[in-house]
Amino acid sequence: MANQQPQTLASEARHKKILTIVFTIICVIWVLPVVCVAINSFKLNTFVKTETFALPTEESFAGWSNFITGMTFGNYPFWSAFGYSALITVLSTALILVCCSMAAWYIARVDSKFCKVIYTLCIFSMVVPFQMVMFTLSKTADTLKLNTPWTIPIVYLGFGAGLAIFMFVGFVKSIPLEIEEAAAIDGCGPVRTFFLVVLPMLKPTLISVGILEIMWVWNDYLLPYLVLDINQYRTIPIQIQYLKGSYGTVDLGATMAIILMAIIPVIVFYLSCQKYIIKGVAAGAVKG
Amino acid sequence: MAEVSLKHITKIYPNIEKTKKHHFGKKAAEPEKKSNLKVTDEGVVAVEDFNLDIADREFVVLVGPSGCGKSTTLRMIAGLESISGGELTIDGKVMNEVAPKDRDIAMVFQSYALYPHMTVYDNMAFPLKLRKVPEDQIDQKVRQAAETLGITQYLDRKPKALSGGQRQRVAIGRAIVRDPKVLLMDEPLSNLDAKLRNQMRAEIIKLRKRINATFVYVTHDQTEAMTLGDRIVIMKDGVVQQVGTPQEVFNEPANLFVAGFIGVPQMNFFDGHLEKTASGYVLDALDTKIAISPETGKALEAAGVTSLDVTAGVRPEQIQLANADEPGAMSGTIDVSELMGSTVHVHASVEGYDFVLVIPTIDFDGALGRSFADGAPISFKFEPNAVHFFDKASGKNIIKP
Ligand SMILES: Nc1ncnc2c1ncn2[C@@H]1O[C@H](COP(=O)(O)OP(=O)(O)OP(=O)(O)O)[C@@H](O)[C@H]1O
Ligand SMILES: [Mg+2]
Repeated sequence: MANQQPQTLASEARHKKILTIVFTIICVIWVLPVVCVAINSFKLNTFVKTETFALPTEESFAGWSNFITGMTFGNYPFWSAFGYSALITVLSTALILVCCSMAAWYIARVDSKFCKVIYTLCIFSMVVPFQMVMFTLSKTADTLKLNTPWTIPIVYLGFGAGLAIFMFVGFVKSIPLEIEEAAAIDGCGPVRTFFLVVLPMLKPTLISVGILEIMWVWNDYLLPYLVLDINQYRTIPIQIQYLKGSYGTVDLGATMAIILMAIIPVIVFYLSCQKYIIKGVAAGAVKG
Repeated sequence: MAEVSLKHITKIYPNIEKTKKHHFGKKAAEPEKKSNLKVTDEGVVAVEDFNLDIADREFVVLVGPSGCGKSTTLRMIAGLESISGGELTIDGKVMNEVAPKDRDIAMVFQSYALYPHMTVYDNMAFPLKLRKVPEDQIDQKVRQAAETLGITQYLDRKPKALSGGQRQRVAIGRAIVRDPKVLLMDEPLSNLDAKLRNQMRAEIIKLRKRINATFVYVTHDQTEAMTLGDRIVIMKDGVVQQVGTPQEVFNEPANLFVAGFIGVPQMNFFDGHLEKTASGYVLDALDTKIAISPETGKALEAAGVTSLDVTAGVRPEQIQLANADEPGAMSGTIDVSELMGSTVHVHASVEGYDFVLVIPTIDFDGALGRSFADGAPISFKFEPNAVHFFDKASGKNIIKP
């Protein structure tokens, strides 16, 4: 600030105007695909390709028919895909949050070789691309019966742990040790210290990690596709893929409708947690 | 009833630096240089052979410069730090391996360590809730403690919305709600500004009369130590230097370190030579021969002194201005003088030694007619009785055994 050229108020106002315009354009570009999906999900299939960016007209408007087609498509009910997606997302995220926050607390507070090794491994796991391990993984998952929606969260825990532990450890280290010592004197054992004192303080990080994991698991395609028995269990991304495959032709309108259905929960979730997301990200920025 | 007894308590931190040296080369050597702690094969000795019996309801203050092991000692009493050697008993029960929550102690931390996600009320109720105290009793105790500390109007706030002084009160409140046997405090006032610190100090004195606990209080501020403590433990580099009442440590410091540490401004030190003559002891220092009073002489005789190089010490308050031609008067030049209000602190140098004199301004009249200008000459004297003698080699007080 100090070495900036002194600016007149007028030029500052002009700068602001330019910035506003630039960012508006960026925002529009950013949301355009989502808007396109929303628009096209209400258009008849034939109009999706020809008038992609146009609003639905009287002629092209399809009403709810795309949604109905999409949801009753093929021989797999959409609602079970939705249910499995939700189940896997909720279970995985919960498992990651609980296990990783506990592990991170231990790693951050216990000063031993073992912890350092574990921490390094966790960091390292973030660097290994999924594609490198996916085939051995799907075999292993099959053998260990991790191929159902109730057990696949364990696989997600393995993949999510790296980032989650990294973020939690950073935050735990910023919590003064004295607070936990005060808890120990006040009458908490390790378990109560963690759940009554540490966990509530971790709230901002819990939220930001939770959001990252929810987005990732909800949208993930490859892992459930490789691990789950596709005839029995499908998540929404897999179901969308099947809409495309089965007849050789693609019902784009129905696809858009389902994509919209898949996006809506994430958007609702984002809007309801917006306050915490910004807080959590900021907390991570300062303390991470 | 809570007597706390520390017998040969020792704390050794395993030497981490040794292993780190391989990685960081030069850097690791630095922290060792800073402190004068003893380093053994096992590690850094942070507290060495600490012996103290604390009576029920006594207020003991641990005081010493930074890094001398005060907090470590306190944390060993609390059970937050393992005890490397010796025995800690509270009420006759050995506590070395007992978990902090089962020692019936409470602690106030320097950083307050309040739970940020709980309201003031919940912070104070937390230890009671964990002990399954009935809800109505919790409410009564919390409100009573809040009343005592004057924080009733903040009970619904989170700690974030409080000032330092208010947070400190909450921390004290959380410690006293459950009537602990022993109340440990680690520099509770050092984050407060000077005025608030004085105020809180007075409140701790009041508080202590109201509650039935044994206090162990850590500070590096000797004023706090002198005003609060029934007994003061002065530590340096992990070793106890002296244990005594405020009067004792002030009037009969065990060694040079205690003499210099207790008292503001510091005691004035100068080298001299003690000689036994036919007419009694004579201190030869600062170009003057000072005859030592017979009482002190007797004590010196008992200590077996005949001829000895000593470091002598005189408290600034015990020096009076004098005329240059008076017998026993010393002369020097003024370096700086500081007007403190009711007194003037005059810094003078005599024969290469720095002296501080505290001169009450009330006595100012024309009689001595001096102005304390920088560079002006000054003469002063002190009663031979006021002089403390320390062995020049070991620093020990010669008279006090
Ligand atoms: N984990 C540790 N490993 C090695 N040395 C340590 C460790 N913790 C503390 N020490 C050393 O022990 C000594 C005593 O520390 P302590 O915290 O008790 O000092 P203190 O008297 O409370 O000082 P202050 O007034 O600064 O709080 C210090 O010199 C410190 O370097
Ligand atoms: Mg300390």
